[in-house]
Amino acid sequence: MTFVNKIFYYFLFVSLIVLLFNSNSFPQNELPKQLKVQFDFAKELFNNEEYFDAITELKRLLFFDKQNEYSYSANELIGESYKMGAKFSEAVQYFTIAAIHSTNNEELFNSKIEIIRVNILRRTINRALILLDSLDSDKRFSDNKDDINYWRGWAYIFNDEWGKASQEFNRISPDNELKKISEEVENNKYSVTKARIFSFIIPGAGQFYTQNYISGILSFGWNLLWGYITINSFVKNRIFDGVVVGELLWLRFYRGNLQNAGRFAEEKNREISNKALKFLQFNYNGLKP
Amino acid sequence: MIPIICLVFLFLSQAFPQKDSSGYFNINSPSNIKKFADYLFCADDYLRAATEYEKYLSSYYNDTVEFKIGLSYSKISNYSKALKWFNKINNNSVFFADAGNEYFKSLFQLGNYYDFRRYYQENKIKNKDKIRNADKLFYFSYFFTEDELPPEVDFLKPFNSKESNKINEFYKRKINPPYKSTAAAIIMSALIPGSGKIYTGQVGDGIITAIATGLCGYLAYDNFDAEHNFRGWVFSCLAVFFYAGNVYGSAASAQIYNAGIRFDFQNDIKLYLNRQNYFTSKYDFCK
Repeated sequence: MTFVNKIFYYFLFVSLIVLLFNSNSFPQNELPKQLKVQFDFAKELFNNEEYFDAITELKRLLFFDKQNEYSYSANELIGESYKMGAKFSEAVQYFTIAAIHSTNNEELFNSKIEIIRVNILRRTINRALILLDSLDSDKRFSDNKDDINYWRGWAYIFNDEWGKASQEFNRISPDNELKKISEEVENNKYSVTKARIFSFIIPGAGQFYTQNYISGILSFGWNLLWGYITINSFVKNRIFDGVVVGELLWLRFYRGNLQNAGRFAEEKNREISNKALKFLQFNYNGLKP
Repeated sequence: MIPIICLVFLFLSQAFPQKDSSGYFNINSPSNIKKFADYLFCADDYLRAATEYEKYLSSYYNDTVEFKIGLSYSKISNYSKALKWFNKINNNSVFFADAGNEYFKSLFQLGNYYDFRRYYQENKIKNKDKIRNADKLFYFSYFFTEDELPPEVDFLKPFNSKESNKINEFYKRKINPPYKSTAAAIIMSALIPGSGKIYTGQVGDGIITAIATGLCGYLAYDNFDAEHNFRGWVFSCLAVFFYAGNVYGSAASAQIYNAGIRFDFQNDIKLYLNRQNYFTSKYDFCK
């Protein structure tokens, strides 16, 4: 064997060993890369609002991620996707799994806040408030008080308690934009009790207070008519007529007038709340549930 | 010679890296798609499982996968798609008989009772140990259509003694539904205000209608009699209004009552079917 041949065989042997080593170790090196590509792909789907496909790809990622490298981020993104598709129970389920796999306090806090946001969205406000209280009393999150107050304020907004919401936002800052909006909404609302009292004194007055003028005039007119007929019957000594008309007609219209006044005030308040929520949905740039 | 062999080996190892042949490292390889689909299927995520299985079938034919797609669609109540997949299973497959039974059940669940009965009568039910449920479902289908019921003796044959009492009750309810006659309700209310409503089971409403109509009528008469014409007309209008409402309300009440009877009947049958688990089949796909 010549020296050149020896060199050639030596080179070939080394190449084979390297190749063999590579072909064994290749999958272990390649898999994390593939998982990273998979996660980026799922994220892209999420960003393109293809939530069903995003969930499928994230579940695929979790299925092959034996080292649990993506357990937090993938579960968090699955939760987000379900939330965007209004599948709130599933969203809470995956945010909870993400919380279990969180590796630091920041991740844990974020997952818990996401669960709270879903609870606010699906109007399980009591649950959201309980979770916020538990975060509030947890010393690990003592630096996140503003966040906790912020989401508590949103919980109250969704519960139509704008006054309480305003107080929560005030704790963050007296100049808080949401504090001002909540305060304004609370001031614009009608008092249901006041509407009823007005109608109790003068039939139709409660309707005028809630700006339902036609209803107010009608209510006043009916009460005047049946009141006149009832009183007139008693004056003319037709007691039976008076009792029947008074009970079946006048009192019926009077009670209806009281109920109407309250209902109109409630309807108006709902309109004001919905208008404010719509405003927040489209014009408020901060974080929303 | 040795250098050539080595070079060939070197070339082949580059041309066919292990990751492709093993399949594991390409998470989108057909075998991995199937593994993932199996996982989704066992995690009850049936829509995604079906989608993944369909993706797998674009590379390989597999009758188990076809059957599982049908089952997945059946589980999410997409029976028209389930039918399509169960129908695809050919008669060489080990799932042929099960697919036939699932097809049969899907026809029932879809409410396609005529095809369902035809399929049954053409004796396409292959799986003998499940034939008993097939017989039961066949007769149950008559409860959901307006077709004439088979004779009672035949009808009750597939059911055991425990079930028979309930089925007999359903049978009688189907033959003689306790409907109320709309015409009778109208005539009764025209003669005695409120009586039509009482006839259709709305006793409280009937009594109130009778009092309101009677009282307004009396007050109209009394006021005219006392020459209080304005009030007389007011009460006459009210009496006519109550009377017309009473007749119309009685007819509506009879129709609502009958719709309730039909709804309750079908609802009771569906509840009974769900409780009896006639549709549940057990397969060992998820151990």
